[in-house]
Amino acid sequence: MAAAVLGALRRLNYRLAIVIGIALLGCAAFVLLDIVLRQFNASFGGTDEISGYAMAITSAWGMSYALLELGHVRIDLLRSRLVTRSRVLIDLVSMLVVALMVTVIAFQCWPVLEKSLTNNSRANTVLETPLWMVQLPWLAGWVWFALMAWLSLMAALWLFLHGQFDDVEQSIGTVAETKALS
Amino acid sequence: MISYVAVGLLVLLTLSIPVGIVLFLLGFGIDVFFSPFPLIKGLGQSVWSSSNSATLIAIPFFVLLGEVLVKSGVAGRTYTALDRWVSWLPGGLIHANIATATMFSATSGSSIATAATVATVAMPQAQKLGYDPKLFSGAIAAGGTLGIMIPPSINLIVYGFLTQTSIPQLFLAGLVPGIALALLFILATVVICTVRPALGGDRRVFPLAQMLAALRDLLPIIVLFTIIIGTIYKGWATPTEAAAVGVAGAFAIAAWFRGVSVSMIGECLLGTIKITSMIMLVVIGASFLNFTLSSAGLGRELQAFLTELGLSPLLFILVIVLIYVVLGFFIETLSLMVITIPIIVPLVVAQGYDPVWFGILMIVLIEMALITPPVGLNLFVVQGVRKQGSLNEVMLGAIPYVLVMLLMVAALIAFPQIALFLPQYI
Repeated sequence: MAAAVLGALRRLNYRLAIVIGIALLGCAAFVLLDIVLRQFNASFGGTDEISGYAMAITSAWGMSYALLELGHVRIDLLRSRLVTRSRVLIDLVSMLVVALMVTVIAFQCWPVLEKSLTNNSRANTVLETPLWMVQLPWLAGWVWFALMAWLSLMAALWLFLHGQFDDVEQSIGTVAETKALS
Repeated sequence: MISYVAVGLLVLLTLSIPVGIVLFLLGFGIDVFFSPFPLIKGLGQSVWSSSNSATLIAIPFFVLLGEVLVKSGVAGRTYTALDRWVSWLPGGLIHANIATATMFSATSGSSIATAATVATVAMPQAQKLGYDPKLFSGAIAAGGTLGIMIPPSINLIVYGFLTQTSIPQLFLAGLVPGIALALLFILATVVICTVRPALGGDRRVFPLAQMLAALRDLLPIIVLFTIIIGTIYKGWATPTEAAAVGVAGAFAIAAWFRGVSVSMIGECLLGTIKITSMIMLVVIGASFLNFTLSSAGLGRELQAFLTELGLSPLLFILVIVLIYVVLGFFIETLSLMVITIPIIVPLVVAQGYDPVWFGILMIVLIEMALITPPVGLNLFVVQGVRKQGSLNEVMLGAIPYVLVMLLMVAALIAFPQIALFLPQYI
């Protein structure tokens, strides 16, 4: 069961990552177009602002993909010297800490959006972007990251309780750098 | 407070908690134990403002640029082409390893990807031509490290962002030391292979016609690099704009060599998202830690600490170098950078050193961390591709290049102008 859940999460975040990647490509195209237009004394006049929003939103939504692909850097100097059972225990503790901390982050990000909503704040720029419009998807990305962390933790815990240590390691452990590249 | 951070880092990192999360936890701890105000209230704002950045979007662009060049098979062509140009030197093909790594790093900005790419195309050649595996693989590991020094460098963008130093200035400052390191690697190889010819392979001289034909594969990358750095240097484009141009250029080159397909684009995008998210978690965490440290009065404490130490600026910088060398045995590039920047950079600047210069010095030191055992990522990567022999061979082979890097550290301290003379022109 847990394996199926993990598989589904992976596929879901894989698709999300593709969407975010396409958004990034779009942003690069937008920046390019602005450079070209500048040669003709025209410009969108807000590329910097939009790239900033794109960065905030894409990096929030990319976090969960990196999490499920075991992409976030961990120092496994001690971990790699332990036997499998202790190693997966460390993985579980580490995942618990991640889930807790990301939840705290998501909660602390809410006031930023709340303030923009109550004050109806707009960016202090030419575009006068209503900030909630970009902060809402940004916050949603962090909430999603927290949710993914908790779900992976549960799935890994289930595997652990059923004695499937190797599967735990595959789901929330670390990958050798060379494998990570391929 | 300084010792709290140091001990906290050590404990949390050995528990294998992701580095980015560790930085958040430490910031959290600073808030609870050292600050009279509730700094956690600033967490959301800190996360928002550190990721809402038109500067940082240059990171995914440069990562994507590198991914496109690597996945479209341009690396293999570059290697073959450079082989024709440099293999007449004593040491033969080893120079092609270093030169390819240099050229790739000049466009991609990632050390691990560079080392992996070069190792994949070079290793089969080494066996065929009977090279000593030690020096051959050591040169790939060392050459790969140049990726974080020669602009565009993602690590320099992160450094500039966290220390509020000009990124164009950092890029230019890295140019001369980066190229000098590459040339010194080549020189060291020539010396070693002249003294002990058995370590190198046969020198091969190619006819001029073949050398010129190889230019066809080299020129596009050289042009791309010149455009990226040239536009930043001339002030025509911000690093972000230059990166966007670079992405378009990389796709054009890949298409020219018929290396673009839907699945290839998908792979490049996925790789980019994964690497960028990994970098961003660490950067956002470091920004929050930075914020808590400075709000809790780190500045005053550092000043007191310095006065207490009473070291001369030179002795002080030597101590810093020693700290990095030791930490570099165990921790890798980006992590090593972001966990030390909040404390070390203010200390160094307080001693009157230029933050641009220190950025470059730090990069040489973390390049060294990539190829010093027991934990040296590039050593692992090259060994992983090699799939034979032992890791010790790669480590031994990398030693001459570690010595060259130490030489560069000394040169940068003795003659800061090596890094600082170019940036004064913008």
